[in-house]
This record gives sequence, structure tokens and C-alpha cells, in this order.
Amino acid sequence: MKKYILEVKNISKSFGNVKALEDVNFYLQKGKIHGLLGENGAGKSSLMNILSGIYQPEKGSIFINDIKQKSLDPESASELGIGMVHQEFRLIESFSIKDNLTLSKANIYKDNFKEAYEKYCEIFSLSVSPEKLIAQLSVGEKQKIEIMKLIFKNSNIMLLDEPTAVLTPQETDQLRISLERLSEEDEKTIVLISHKLKEIRDFTEKVFVMKNGKMVAEDLSTVNVTDDNLVELMMGRIQKSIIDKSNKTGDTKLSVESIEYIDKVSNYKILEDINLEIKAGEILGIAGVSGNGQVELANIISGIESDYSGKIIINNKDVSQKGVKSRKKLNLSYIPENRLGVGLAPGVSVLDNSIVRDYFKTRLGPHLSRSKTETYLESLIKKFSIKAPNSKAEISTLSGGNMQKLLMGRELVSNPEVIIASQPTRGLDVNAVEAIHTLLVDQRDMGSAILLISEDLDELFKLSNRLHVMYEGKIVKSLDIDTADINNVGLAMAGVIE
Amino acid sequence: MNNLKLFKRQTVNELSTFYSFLIGFIIAIIIGSIILLIQDKNPIDTFSLMLRLSVGSIKSLSSSLNKAIPLILAGLGISIINSVKLWNIGAEGQIFLGAIAVNFIYINTQFNSPSFHILVLLLAGFVGGSVCILIPAITKVVFGVNEIITTLLTNYIVFGVTIYLINGPWKDPKSLNFPAAAYVGEEVFLPTIFGKLSFGFLICILFTFLAHYLKNKSVFGFEMRIAGGSAMTAVYAGINAKQKAFIAMLIGGGFAGLAGAIELLSQTHRVSTGISQGFGYTAIIVAAITGMRPFGIFLVGSLFGALSIGGSVIQTIGVSTYIADIIQASTLFGALIIQFFFNYQIKRVDDD
Ligand SMILES: Nc1ncnc2c1ncn2[C@@H]1O[C@H](COP(=O)(O)OP(=O)(O)O)[C@@H](O)[C@H]1O
Ligand SMILES: [Mg+2]
Repeated sequence: MKKYILEVKNISKSFGNVKALEDVNFYLQKGKIHGLLGENGAGKSSLMNILSGIYQPEKGSIFINDIKQKSLDPESASELGIGMVHQEFRLIESFSIKDNLTLSKANIYKDNFKEAYEKYCEIFSLSVSPEKLIAQLSVGEKQKIEIMKLIFKNSNIMLLDEPTAVLTPQETDQLRISLERLSEEDEKTIVLISHKLKEIRDFTEKVFVMKNGKMVAEDLSTVNVTDDNLVELMMGRIQKSIIDKSNKTGDTKLSVESIEYIDKVSNYKILEDINLEIKAGEILGIAGVSGNGQVELANIISGIESDYSGKIIINNKDVSQKGVKSRKKLNLSYIPENRLGVGLAPGVSVLDNSIVRDYFKTRLGPHLSRSKTETYLESLIKKFSIKAPNSKAEISTLSGGNMQKLLMGRELVSNPEVIIASQPTRGLDVNAVEAIHTLLVDQRDMGSAILLISEDLDELFKLSNRLHVMYEGKIVKSLDIDTADINNVGLAMAGVIE
Repeated sequence: MNNLKLFKRQTVNELSTFYSFLIGFIIAIIIGSIILLIQDKNPIDTFSLMLRLSVGSIKSLSSSLNKAIPLILAGLGISIINSVKLWNIGAEGQIFLGAIAVNFIYINTQFNSPSFHILVLLLAGFVGGSVCILIPAITKVVFGVNEIITTLLTNYIVFGVTIYLINGPWKDPKSLNFPAAAYVGEEVFLPTIFGKLSFGFLICILFTFLAHYLKNKSVFGFEMRIAGGSAMTAVYAGINAKQKAFIAMLIGGGFAGLAGAIELLSQTHRVSTGISQGFGYTAIIVAAITGMRPFGIFLVGSLFGALSIGGSVIQTIGVSTYIADIIQASTLFGALIIQFFFNYQIKRVDDD
């Protein structure tokens, strides 16, 4: 009897300078559900993409049923029975369920589609006609069709990349039951990627943990490993606060009162009863795995999203009904998580991007004099040591660090009273991270009230005075940084709240 | 394994569009020469004749510039709409509807002061162009319908309306079998500056500066660029991207409509199918060659005006007028290819 249905040895893969995978080992037992755990950017999706033949590794070997595979492309991987559900759906929206399921030439239910469809509908507790168009399905139903698609093309190894990220708790529970039945009845081998410890615990028999492109734990038995253990493997050991936090704080600058936000499309409650307050000279950290409502919260505070209930008070003024510009006039700055695309407009010059915050103020407008804007950009470049070829260069020709410095500089130059900084250092190199941290701390010392949203516990512990943990749209934990326990924060981020 | 890959250049020479145009034009002349040689015509003779007959005298120069007016105005309109990254393929229809609006107002109103009358008619042309793009603008902003298709379709609709009007309600009995509306009175003819050069050329210069100001110097132009760059950034900045797109389309359509008004008031003096000879389409080439720059549009529009005058007179020596069209289109083709090499760099890389 062979031990593993699939075995990966010493795989490496880089993208430019980023080592996405370094000497990674990974192996699956037939008919079992395996968990793959790791922070965002750990390399989980890259590994799955290699197994399904989408990326080619630079180094290492892949064995399927003990046979070494020279090179995998999407077609050969599919023939060998490897199928993947991607983080983003890959269904054809304008086609029916039936067409999507039978599209693949590997389809094994050509003649008995009806019976097969009924059988798996029962397993997935799905009750929709196969003639229905994908576009008419809910997110949860689409997810089920994605997984069913793998069954129809006879994939025996099913790689599911964060399938629960888009599901409600009830749907997640249903998915667990379906996957258990698939592994037992059809002997499917399953890989489940997730951030949530509870899911890893509930779904899987074996667990692998990745961090920074390396496999830091292999083939652990889920029942034997503790939550603390997993969190430490996933996040690593964290050094506590190195920055002086004895600076003076002042009056409350931002308060957010009982915010509720419901997604129009799915009708799902994204934010529930969010309350927070930040004083001048204070950094409040929001810890949480991305996708737990942080983007929506930041959009609501900055005025981008207006369809919510609750109150936003900036500097003692209720701005709940006010738009983006009037909040900016009260000196609020927002550094969005999506640097290029939200904070900065691609295809537009460095100069134009540098004035996005202040262009409507008399200092620059209303004629938008070229010399005034150029001077403004020059002062940003000097003050924040930004490297840009020239003012007319297209923004995306700048490096990530310089883009972020331009964005931060633009948002900070007017010495804002309230700053929302969302994932300000994600994807940046060490020097750029250090520069951005210094900027935030300087701004704190100048009396700004700062909301720092991050997934990086290092960063949060280093910079914050206080910490809230967000999980599934709620603040599930609030701590003072001096007394905060890192493991507790990590556990709360993964949904374990005692 | 070695591979060739494209890299976007960090800095692009400021004059790259101009160089691309120049090289594209040279390529076009070479292509034109080859075609002439195939037809046993001497290219040098032909081109020098074209040059002489298009810019060699006050008379020919003024005809060339008259031809340039609609190309420039419609091109400017296209460039304004392109600030929000939308394409106006409907300038041809907008020119026609501009002229129709002029005739409509002319028939239905009376003014004592001729100069005021002309002003009203020019304004009517502008509004006519805006009305022509109104439906594409609404469907774009409200439903997200692709404006390339809708603006193209309006060309056919407006052309149909024109045919109907000049064969039906507006048909001038005096024009016998040629379908056309009645001539407008001489009191509303646009005056000339020198030779045959229409006063419209001054309007053209004025609107070139106006478009330049709007696109490059005004807050509105900035907002259009951000809205065109990323709808999300616009929301983030508090810019109403849809409103900007809507206004840009109406203004751009108005520019083309104004071109129609000037054609009517200074060239054809009546509504007929001759109001535009594809100016709205050539204007797309003009705008694209210049990278949507107003002053560039002014210069290339003038050149293309001269080319088509030159092209139409060389018929006399038995060369098809299409040589001018070929040169115009090849210039764009060449210029786009050259521009590509200004923007990108090809490097040999190791396969990953
Ligand atoms: N196609 C790609 N091009 C460039 N970098 C990539 C690409 N895919 C992944 N990366 C980088 O590789 C690293 C691992 O990413 P990924 O495998 O998506 O992580 P995970 O799925 O664990 O969040 C990240 O730093 C990411 O930015
Ligand atoms: Mg991933």
C-alpha cells in the first residue's frame, strides 16, 4: 500500500525578489481532509497553484501515486485528478449550472448527468434547478457548484483555497458535512486552506502550517495539537513594544458608535455593534485577519460608504451624514489598504496623484495652477524622501515603497487630526516599513488620533497604545498594549475567544 | 530558456508622441510612394504637386485650413471625452446633428442683429452635438453600456434623420433632384478672415486653448483624469466619476456639433449629406495620433486638412484621392507602433 497519494518535495518558487515558496514539503493521504494554515502571503495559494499546474516550480519534485511528474500543466494535473477551487470564483456567470458542470472534457457524467446532479445536490444540501444561470445564485450556492465542478471532472484530490472566507457560519457548517461525506463515501482527498482555527479543528484530520514561504509544521494530527501551538507556528514569536508609549494624549478626536453594516447583495451582516474611541496622540490598533470587516469599517469612517447605521463623530462633530470631502475638511486622512486602485489612480501621473487629497482647497484650486501643484509635489518629495523619476511619470512606475510614501505623505502633510491607516506596510521591504512606522509615530507625537488596521501583530504591538481584535465583523477583544498577551490576540484573530 | 519580454519604461521622452507622429508620417509617405510607384506615377512629382495645391497659395492654404476646422473641433471633443477614458466614435453624427440644430433654429427664429443671430446658431450647433451624445451618455452612466457601440450607432441614426429631413420636410424644391434643405440666408454666413479662410478658424483656435485649459489646467480636468484612472480612487477622493463622465461627453459632443454649425454657416450653407465627408472619423485618427493633446490636434488637424485638399486636386493628374486617406491612416498606424516602443522596452529574460 502506498503511503501518500500526492507528495511534494523541496519545492521552491519565486516571483521577482519575493520567495513565495522555499524548500516546501507537502504530502496527502488518500481519503483524508488536510488543513493548510498560514497568514496572508505565507505562500498557500502559490503551493496550490503549483499542484494544479498553473505555476511551474523552480526546484523540487512532485509525486502522484508514487510516480514522479516531470512537469505539470493545468491539463495534465487535471488528468491526474487534481482539481482546485480558487479564492475567486471561476464560473461562467452567463452559463447554466449544467453547462458549467459539464464544460470540462474530462466530464465523467455525460450520460447520467441527472442522477449524478441529484446525488451531489443531496450531499451539498443544494436545491436549485441545473438550468439556472450561475449569475442568479447566491455566493454560497456558487461555492457549492465550484466544488461540484471538481467532482464532475473526476478530481480525486480537491484543493480548496479559503472556501469559507465567503460563507456564513451556517453555510460553513454545511460545507463541513458535505466534505466529510465526500472524503468518506467517495474517498476524495481534500486540502482546506483557512485562517480560522475552529475550522481547521472541525474539518481536518491533518494540518500543515506555512509561514513566509516555508512549511513550518508538517502533517500534525489535528487532535493532538493545541490552538496556542498553531498560533505560534503561524505568527511566530513576537517581540513586544520597542517604541516609547508615554507620550501625552489629549481630547477624544474620533468616536464611532454602534456601527452596523449589512451587505446589500448577500444580506449578510458585515459589521455588528462596533464602538471605539481614539484620543489625540493615541494609536488604536485593529488586529484581525483581513476580510473580517476592516475594509468596510475604514470606508464607513472615511465617508466612502454611506449606507450604514450608527454614528461617526470627528472632533465633536457628528459627521454621520457627511460625505468624503466634508470629513477631509475636518482634517481626516485615510490611507486605504488598496494602495494602487483606491489610494492612487493607475494610469495617472505622480503629480495628479499627489493632489488627490487637497486639490479642492483654495491653496491649490480652483484653477489648479501647474506651478502651485508642482511646488506642492516637490515639498512632498523632499519631506517624505520619495523617489520619483519626474512629476509626469505614471504612478505605477514607482516602487511599492515609494508609492506608499507618496500616498502617506499626501495624507499626512496637512497634519491631520484623525488618521485611518489600513495595512500601511503590507508588501513593503524592511526599510520602507521602518520609514512608514516612523511617519506614524511622528504623527502620533504631533497629536493625531490614529486608527491602525493591520494583520501584522509585530506592527500592531510595536505601534499601538491599545488594541481591538476584529473577528467576523465584531470587536471580540479589547486590550491595553502593556498588559496584552500576544497569544490571546493571535487566538482571537483566529476565532478562538475564551 | 530565453524569452523576450516587455517592460514598461519608467520615464518616457516628453516629445515621444511628436517623434512617433513624425516617424509615422514618414512611414506613411513611403507607403504612399510605393503605391504610387506601382501605379507608374512619380511619387516626388505627385507629392510636390499636392504640396503646391494645398499650401502653395493663399487660396489653397485657406481651403486647407477650412478643411481642418471640423477635424480639429471634432478631434478636440474626442480628446476631452477621452480624459475620462471613454471613446467617442460618434463625432460624425454629432457634426450632422449640429448642422441640423442650426437649420432648425434658423427656420424657427428671427433676429435683427446678424452677428447675434450667428452666435445663436453656433450655440445651437454646440447644443445639437451635445443632444446627439445624450443617449450614449445616459446609457453609459446609468447602465454602463459600452459608449463605443452607442456613439457609433448614433451616427447611423442621425444620418438617417438627415436623409429623411432633406428628402422630406426640409427638402428644397429648387434643388431639383439633389436632396438638400434650402440655403440659409447670406446674413448668417460666417465672414472670412483672408482668402477663403472662414472665421470658423478663429473659433477653432479659441476652442483649442479652451480644450487645453479644460483638460490640463482646470480642476475639472484633474477630476476627469482621476475618474478615468480609477473609479474607486474617484470615490475615495470624493469625486463623482459618473457626473464627470456625463459632462465630459456632453462637452465633447458639443465641440463636434459646433464643427457641424461652422461647416453649414461657412461651407455648404445648407443641410445636405455633404455637411461632413467623414470628418468625424478622421478626427478620431487625428486625436489618437496626438495622444489626445489639444495643440497637437490643432497641428495634425491642419496637416490632414491640407492632405485632403492635396488629395482631392491630384485627381486631375489621374491619381486616386484615396492616396490621402491611405497616408492619414498609415500615419496613425506607424505612430501607434512607434509610440509602443517609446512606452515599452523589450528585454531578453530567463524563463521562470
Ligand atoms: N503571480 C504572482 N506574482 C507576483 N507575486 C506573487 C504572485 N502570486 C503570489 N505572489 C507573492 O507570493 C507570496 C505568497 O502569496 P500567496 O501564495 O498568494 O499567499 P497566501 O495564499 O498564503 O496568502 C506573496 O508575497 C505574494 O505577494
Ligand atoms: Mg491565498
